[in-house]
Amino acid sequence: MIAGLVKDEGDDPRFHAGDKVGISVRFPVGHYRVPHYIRGKKALVEEVVATPAIDNEAEGFGRNVGLKRHYYRVSIPLSELWPGYAGSPHDGLRIEVYENWLEGI
Amino acid sequence: MHPHDHTPVVAADEAPGYYEIMETAVRELLVAKQVIAAGEIRRHLEVLDSRTPQLGAKLVAKAWVDPEFKKRLLANGRTACEEVGISFYENTELTVLENTEKVHNLIVCTLCSCYPREVLGLPPDWYKLTPYRSRAVKEPRAVLAEFGTVIPDNVEIRVSDSTAMIRYLVLPRRPDGTEKMTEEQLAALVTRDAMIGVVPVEFQKGRVQ
Amino acid sequence: MNRSEELLKRLPNDIGGQPGAPIQRTEHQYLPWEKRCHALADILDMRKIVSTEEKRRGVESLGAEMIGKLTYYERWVAAFANILFQKGILTPGELAVKMEEVAARHSRGTAA
Repeated sequence: MIAGLVKDEGDDPRFHAGDKVGISVRFPVGHYRVPHYIRGKKALVEEVVATPAIDNEAEGFGRNVGLKRHYYRVSIPLSELWPGYAGSPHDGLRIEVYENWLEGI
Repeated sequence: MHPHDHTPVVAADEAPGYYEIMETAVRELLVAKQVIAAGEIRRHLEVLDSRTPQLGAKLVAKAWVDPEFKKRLLANGRTACEEVGISFYENTELTVLENTEKVHNLIVCTLCSCYPREVLGLPPDWYKLTPYRSRAVKEPRAVLAEFGTVIPDNVEIRVSDSTAMIRYLVLPRRPDGTEKMTEEQLAALVTRDAMIGVVPVEFQKGRVQ
Repeated sequence: MNRSEELLKRLPNDIGGQPGAPIQRTEHQYLPWEKRCHALADILDMRKIVSTEEKRRGVESLGAEMIGKLTYYERWVAAFANILFQKGILTPGELAVKMEEVAARHSRGTAA
């Protein structure tokens, strides 16, 4: 570690592999990349996507500059997404979610 | 296997439809305004035509025969591709998902049609249409069954839904009976659909491949 | 629940988990203009003129009826026209004039 280095906002991921997170519930008008079917669900962070990125909801409207945050590859059991899921209880979804859609739980 | 498809820049003899007329007009205006260069589209068509499932198949076969390459491929798909000369578009990453006797992966993009184009080429229609996109995340086993693939209940299914900059490629299981095959022979067995995860790679001894 | 809110809250492409028909393993040979359209999209993205994300949003903005009735690349080219107008790169008038010119080329050329 180098002493004296001050990190910028967004340099460090907020969550880490193994963290339990909640997917937020909100309804952006116009463009989003968090599908309805995962909103409000609990998920497990499998991996932090190392390269930080622009918020793609804003990027959809032409914003290609600004603060970058991290995406997280999270897992959610299919049995938690779909009532009466008929398959293995271990079957799961993997999906990337942007940091501003995740809440610590 | 996919023949190298030379796509002409100008359509042949049929009357262009409304949207083709629009595409042509947009392209010509952009060139006239020097927003894009003349010949840029033609050049890029050649690049697109060179991206076929054969590239993905080569990666799979190499991973099957070379355990160190496989480790690198699973650790960072993009850099492993670059190692063998397959470039990736800016801001996209590749995550290779290994099928094992315990885990079966399949890939989908429910919101649009994100697909590992750099290593598989352009996606099939069914991947982009509603039935696959809506059902793969909800009933993957039924979807796989429609492709003739039955995954036992004691095998975990992981469905990866692309929403951002990661593209996925499935590393299918190597079939039995292929132990003596060369990398080229192995690559010839690996189909596009096996790398999407909807079918396994098949090999039948005695059949001419 | 007011039905019209749902049109804004759920994008037409947000279909994960919705009931779906059996999968038909349709494939079609990409038409030359479709491949050109794909090449155009890649170049506009690489040159940072219209990003892939802007294109996605542009397609969504066409709305459910158009999305249902236009094919995949038809949606792209319609979206690109709108986005290029919004960015002031093309005007509707000049595109319309050019489209007439392109259409006329073919009818001139097919004198039997």
